[in-house]
Amino acid sequence: MLPESIELLAFAAASLVFALAFAPALAPRRALAVQGGAGLAGTAAVAAAPAFDLAVLGLMLLAVLQAAVGGKRTFAACLKAPGVAVALLALAALFARAEGPDLLQRFAAVGLAAGLAAAVGLLPYLHTFDPEEPIAASPVAWLAYIGPVVAAVIVADAHGLLTADAGAAFGAVLIGFGLVNMAWGSVGAWLTENTGAAWRYSFAADWGLALSGFGITLADGRRAALLVLFTVVLGRLPLYLVSGRSGKAPVTDRPINLLVAAALAGSAPFAGFAARVLLLRGATQLFWPLALVLALGMLLWLPGSLRLGRSLGIPRRRQAVGVALVLAANVAAGLYPLPLLAAAGL
Amino acid sequence: MPSAAVLGPMVLPLITAAVMAIFGFAGVNLGRVAAAVGGWGAVLALLVVWVPIRSSLELTLGQLGFGSAFDMRIDGVTFAFGLMIAIPAAILLTLQPRAWPQTVVAMLGLAAALAAVEAGGIVLTAIAGGTAATLAVVLLDTEDPRASRPSWAMLLAGWLALAWFGVMLQVGGGTAVYNAVPVATVTGPLFALLAGSAVLVSCVFPWRTWPAELWSRPSLRAAGVTVATLYPLGFYLLVRGYELGDGRYPHQLFNVALAGLGTIVAFAAAARAQAAPTRRRFLGEVVPGLGGFALAAIALGTPLGLVAGLILLATASLLIACLALLPDHAGIASLVTIAAAVGLPPGISFAARVVGIEATFEAGDFLGLIGVAGMATWATWMVGGARAIGLPGGRGHPSVETFPRISLVIALLMLAAGPAVAAIKVAYADPVAAEVMQSSAGSLTGGLVNVVTVSSVLPALTLLVPLLIFGAFVYAISGASTVRTQSRPALFKVPGAASAARMREALRSATVPEQYRSMFNLRGLETAAAGGRPLLWLGMLIALGFAVTR
Amino acid sequence: MVEAASGFVAWLGVSLVVLSDGRRGLALGMALGALGLAGVSLPAAEPIGAIALVAGGAVAAARRFTAGPAGWAVMPAGSTPRLVLCVAGGLLALWVGVAVMTGSGGALRFAVMSVVGLTGARALAGENASVVQTALALLAVAIGAGAGLAPHTLIVWTYLAAGLVAAAVTWLPDRVQRAA
Repeated sequence: MLPESIELLAFAAASLVFALAFAPALAPRRALAVQGGAGLAGTAAVAAAPAFDLAVLGLMLLAVLQAAVGGKRTFAACLKAPGVAVALLALAALFARAEGPDLLQRFAAVGLAAGLAAAVGLLPYLHTFDPEEPIAASPVAWLAYIGPVVAAVIVADAHGLLTADAGAAFGAVLIGFGLVNMAWGSVGAWLTENTGAAWRYSFAADWGLALSGFGITLADGRRAALLVLFTVVLGRLPLYLVSGRSGKAPVTDRPINLLVAAALAGSAPFAGFAARVLLLRGATQLFWPLALVLALGMLLWLPGSLRLGRSLGIPRRRQAVGVALVLAANVAAGLYPLPLLAAAGL
Repeated sequence: MPSAAVLGPMVLPLITAAVMAIFGFAGVNLGRVAAAVGGWGAVLALLVVWVPIRSSLELTLGQLGFGSAFDMRIDGVTFAFGLMIAIPAAILLTLQPRAWPQTVVAMLGLAAALAAVEAGGIVLTAIAGGTAATLAVVLLDTEDPRASRPSWAMLLAGWLALAWFGVMLQVGGGTAVYNAVPVATVTGPLFALLAGSAVLVSCVFPWRTWPAELWSRPSLRAAGVTVATLYPLGFYLLVRGYELGDGRYPHQLFNVALAGLGTIVAFAAAARAQAAPTRRRFLGEVVPGLGGFALAAIALGTPLGLVAGLILLATASLLIACLALLPDHAGIASLVTIAAAVGLPPGISFAARVVGIEATFEAGDFLGLIGVAGMATWATWMVGGARAIGLPGGRGHPSVETFPRISLVIALLMLAAGPAVAAIKVAYADPVAAEVMQSSAGSLTGGLVNVVTVSSVLPALTLLVPLLIFGAFVYAISGASTVRTQSRPALFKVPGAASAARMREALRSATVPEQYRSMFNLRGLETAAAGGRPLLWLGMLIALGFAVTR
Repeated sequence: MVEAASGFVAWLGVSLVVLSDGRRGLALGMALGALGLAGVSLPAAEPIGAIALVAGGAVAAARRFTAGPAGWAVMPAGSTPRLVLCVAGGLLALWVGVAVMTGSGGALRFAVMSVVGLTGARALAGENASVVQTALALLAVAIGAGAGLAPHTLIVWTYLAAGLVAAAVTWLPDRVQRAA
């Protein structure tokens, strides 16, 4: 198993513990523990798969199990995007392995990138979304719990499947997806009417940064991607859980709301800012105009983050402790990310 | 002196904030005493570290993980800017009562701002400065969410731009440490990014921005601390810019452009100030005005200009504390503050402006013209100041946060410090020039009594002390009774101010015309994207496949 | 010859899955698809791999035969686009798998490509749980068969896993019953 995957699994486990300990009781804790634990086990199986095909099969099984959890969407609706993701990944593997013109390898790169986007639930392959759905059955589970590990596995396996030329195409497609998700996600988080949908778009925006980091196939890009995924799993997801997700909490403007907004926006000293510094470093090494585009895109996070921060309401008692822990962890990772990166072998 | 002493100025406010927070959650407000300990502790730590040795002290620990090591140092630049930030903040935190959460946030902001000036590299400065900006916004918004505050986007843009600048130095030159960057790495386009970020960070623009707007807030508790901690940071970057370029900017065009910008900013502030409807509004333009003068001086590229600019900035920092404590009603405190702010002799503001303008003439060429413009701007300030004495005070802010006597003392200090400009230059500003303009700093001479320039000598002590004594004598005889306050019209109206405001309002309320709204149907677009349409997905796949074949 | 026929059978099976809405049609399509894929995989998979694929497919087909919408419902009203998809998809897979791609194993490539592509489309467009489960089960078998394009030491496990996943997907309940 890749050290990155192990670390992302650890993040996911920590977020599950957080959900059980601090999130409002929107679902029976026992059911949440079972579903979360099963999801974690399935994700670990995907990460531990010794071959790409086994990982894809594991992904399919995970998708079916998740769809079987009771939610507001139909079974078929839950499996639309994951099913397409599995098909795309399988086709990509076929194209990568077959002999023939170099174009096949490039199509394989497209398939892997599109499959990754569809599995996680990013633009243009957004999963259908109901903000009232329990977290275990929600597409947010893909975005913030299962998705990070799946992405690390696919990106790592892609380097083994593709040639150098196709690898560059894979990186370019990922960056393309990343920029689209950054733009759409941040604007959507700001302007969409429903607060739950705004949270979903904010996840997509963060994933835009992560995909850009994966696409910049340099060490700094991967470091940035790992840090962004840390902020997704151990920053955005816990705050999403505490917010109650329904947007029915009164909008407040206390210091805690603004600090949460700052964390969500990737302001210093939170981990998001360190991730952005690393991403700019990688982009500058690769192609400096890309860094300019990324820097401009990063400014779009603010309006949506302010909205989401205020929608948290005033966390009380356990939730307040949880929010404080999340913010503290993000500050620590933002000021000193080296241990996280070293643990992932980066 | 152990290297760890470098951490003192920023760690002391941090510890104070932590202690206050713990007690605060337990229901005990430690109040202004604790705030004073934190604030003045930082000032004392700076003095204790710098004054005995008057040379750089550095602490370097391991890598942090984003290409920079933990590198903190206190040198002449840190000392100068550290005092600029810490002293007004300490004054305000000591005197103005606050709820404990706001004191904690203010302390954290102070620590972050000090960390920004202590950081040994650009990326670390960006992170610390960004933190200070974030905390400032939190402080302002929690005090009064409806009152004006800096645009968070603009602040973030500035610090992000600085981070990118630092990253580009790391990629191009291998390091972003101020005293280790290869000079050749700092090219013109790169420096433009640094200059742009400095301008954004301190918002040094000709139009009215947060350094002026914040003074119109109903309460000045958060405003004072915010301006004190954030405003000097942009100038700090420009001063460090000299260090990056081994004593100069990459091209003289930057000197001219920045000096020109500074003069325009100072004049625009003067124009608004002389047309201000209230005294509070006039005083709100003082800090940006002094900042403009300071920028014009710092950007000249000469050691004399640099020291003049630093003294002006230090004056502005004292004025920040003065203005935040000043009540809006008329009185001797307002009168003396206005006199000190507009540069009435023999004040320090007067002396520094004289040195600054002298520096522009010595720099020569186009910069000399900037000196002429500077003089015209100064004259406008004088006129505006005279008018401001007779203006109505303004809407007022809570009397519990005003301390007119302290304001008066600070203003008097500034008026009396003019004769000591040479000593201040030697003790405070010359080390900065020695740090960032090593090759040309030797031209600064004169000792504690005179300011010696290339073409002349300003006998500050001998010239200004008699003036001070004379002024005190005249006041002692006549008192304030001879000061006639009456409402006077503005010298001129700011051209285009009304149309600019109308344009801004029109932009803000702009909507898509009715007949085109279907083209910009965001809700429809969102439904299409999030609806899981097979054709859309297939279409995207085909488009991508086509793209990779190119 | 056997491989070509197997490839055709696989295509036929997946087309039946795409065109049927009833459990009998889906079950037959599942069985044919798995049989065809096992047939094209035989050279790479050897008996054990092929048996795993067939077994997984058979279990999935058996489950589908007993649970789902009643009847055959092959080519119900409005299924013309699906028919066009099957034919066009098959032709495209044939062209790419045999003419564009080179080397031996053309039938395997054709079968895997057509099954993966058509089951993916079925999962995207399907609204019924039984239909989607069947499509995914056949997709799992195809993934297992596709591993034969790049044989490795763990390939047997891939076939076994594909068979197990195919069986599991159809036997898992489509919704967990809540206690309250």
